[in-house]
Amino acid sequence: MTALTLTEKILRGKAPEPILPGSKYYQIPVDWVLGHDATIALLIERFQKTGARIWDPSRCFFAADHFAPPSTPERADILNRYLNFVDEQAVPKELLFKGISHQLLVEDSRCQPGTVICGADSHTVMAGAIGCFATGLGSTDIMAVLLTGKAILPIPETIKVSFKGDLPPWLFGKDLALEIIRRIGEGGAVDRVLEYHDQSGLPMDSRFTVSNMSVEAGATAGIFVPDDLLYDYLCERDNALPEKESWLKPDSGAHYADEIFVNLKELSPLVALPGDLSRIVPASELEGQAVGQIFIGSCAGGRLEDLAIAASLLKGRQVAPGVRLVVTPASQKIYAECLRNGIFQTLTEAGAMITNSSCGACGGIDKGLIGAGEACVSTSNRNFRGRMGSPDGLIYLASPLTAAAAALTGRLGDPRKVFEGKSREDFHSNPWPRPTETGVLA
Amino acid sequence: MILTGKALVMGNNVNTDVLHPSCFFSLDDKRVREGFMKAASHDEQVGSGDLTGRILIAGDNFGCGSSRETGARVFLLAGIRAVVARSIARIFSRNVRNLGLPAVECPDLPDQPKDGEEVELDLNKWCLRMNSENFPLKPIDPFWKAVMKAGGLMPFLGFKDL
Repeated sequence: MTALTLTEKILRGKAPEPILPGSKYYQIPVDWVLGHDATIALLIERFQKTGARIWDPSRCFFAADHFAPPSTPERADILNRYLNFVDEQAVPKELLFKGISHQLLVEDSRCQPGTVICGADSHTVMAGAIGCFATGLGSTDIMAVLLTGKAILPIPETIKVSFKGDLPPWLFGKDLALEIIRRIGEGGAVDRVLEYHDQSGLPMDSRFTVSNMSVEAGATAGIFVPDDLLYDYLCERDNALPEKESWLKPDSGAHYADEIFVNLKELSPLVALPGDLSRIVPASELEGQAVGQIFIGSCAGGRLEDLAIAASLLKGRQVAPGVRLVVTPASQKIYAECLRNGIFQTLTEAGAMITNSSCGACGGIDKGLIGAGEACVSTSNRNFRGRMGSPDGLIYLASPLTAAAAALTGRLGDPRKVFEGKSREDFHSNPWPRPTETGVLA
Repeated sequence: MILTGKALVMGNNVNTDVLHPSCFFSLDDKRVREGFMKAASHDEQVGSGDLTGRILIAGDNFGCGSSRETGARVFLLAGIRAVVARSIARIFSRNVRNLGLPAVECPDLPDQPKDGEEVELDLNKWCLRMNSENFPLKPIDPFWKAVMKAGGLMPFLGFKDL
């Protein structure tokens, strides 16, 4: 029997025949369809013209996160159109206004290893950290899924990525994602899957960032091989024992298009320079670079791990005068948790401005846009020209630690200096349990 | 099918936010059209002129980034006839083809094609003619050939006029 990659294991056999003779595309049944107010709105008029119903509304995982709440009358109209469509098609409403769709997906017990998920958003790949095949598509492709329950996909080749070595306390998922893109380039994984094998105990929150940013290397999906760490995450999330025996895993001897080894011990905190992801450098090379805004948020960098490290650094201190720190949690659940555990109290007292969970500043939508010539350090996933406002704004992508360190001084630099003169226990004793438990600061 | 037109030239790794910034996301075609290439750098600020009948010629990984289909739809609204690039990002190439616009890869495309140069995209012989030279196109899956022939994904699936 042929040895298979994890993606081949999940997708092979889902469709017996290719869509056309000689084709490598299959009509693959989809377990969950992710959608949101922006990209679903683009298909509503055409969908309604068919007179059809969504094949299975209970399989729609629809959020409202882009215009949530809307900042212009036009966006309110787009949002309302979407809400009417949700209503008309009897799509469940429990996820609306609960946060960013990608985070809601991984917080939900329906998102299980081995499932097939298609989403009307490129960052749908984030769910790969749960061991599912999750991929982003445009609105017309998603319309076809909503009509038929199937996505027309090839079974892509895979690049194997292995994380080895102990995770240093100053390293986060963002640094690892940037390292991979630095090595293979922005188009380095187009039409391929990145399959992550983690032997470093990378916390789930960091894994989500790595999977999320797989698409920034062009990947179709970014999938972690399910392991004990995922098992623990699912136990807590689902309040049930995961069916570990049924989890799909890649065969040893599977064919990979390429292999990448990342030794975490050799990595230093990285920053992507403004414009695109072609220039990624050690944070130490940017020592002293002044910034006007720090954005800690988005589906790539607004989780508990990200907010906890920011609070650890800012506790009892102040954001540099005149610098603005915008914090946007990835979901309202994380928001509530940060209210309970004191993270938001600490960040607010340090001078941070905290928004509700939405795509917000990351998508250039609202609450934290930047002006011409202004520099922003962001924990989000894209530093493209104009992404967060003015085309002449400058977006630096960095880890939450690098970003929080910049908030203290108003300048970029190597965040490892904040560990100088401190023992690991200084951070270990912080009041926010999850990151220490999972080893980020331990 | 043979398409001819003047080349509209762009570089490598041109992303969707450059092609169509998110602030132009709208259900109003006029507003969507206004955003074409609005975040392209000033020396390639090309989106606002009359681009009807142009054939887009670009480098590697064209259209990387977002899945927002407005970024592909704006090519139709601007009257672009086809997208040819050394390589095209996955979601973007799907979006363009799904909307009925040919998108093909031409790995041997020279480094510096001239903007405004007359080019011919021969989808019968599967090559691009430029500067009296022929550049072969990358073979494409029969599925995408059928989608392009049908005029988009919805017509391919039997839904007319969508």
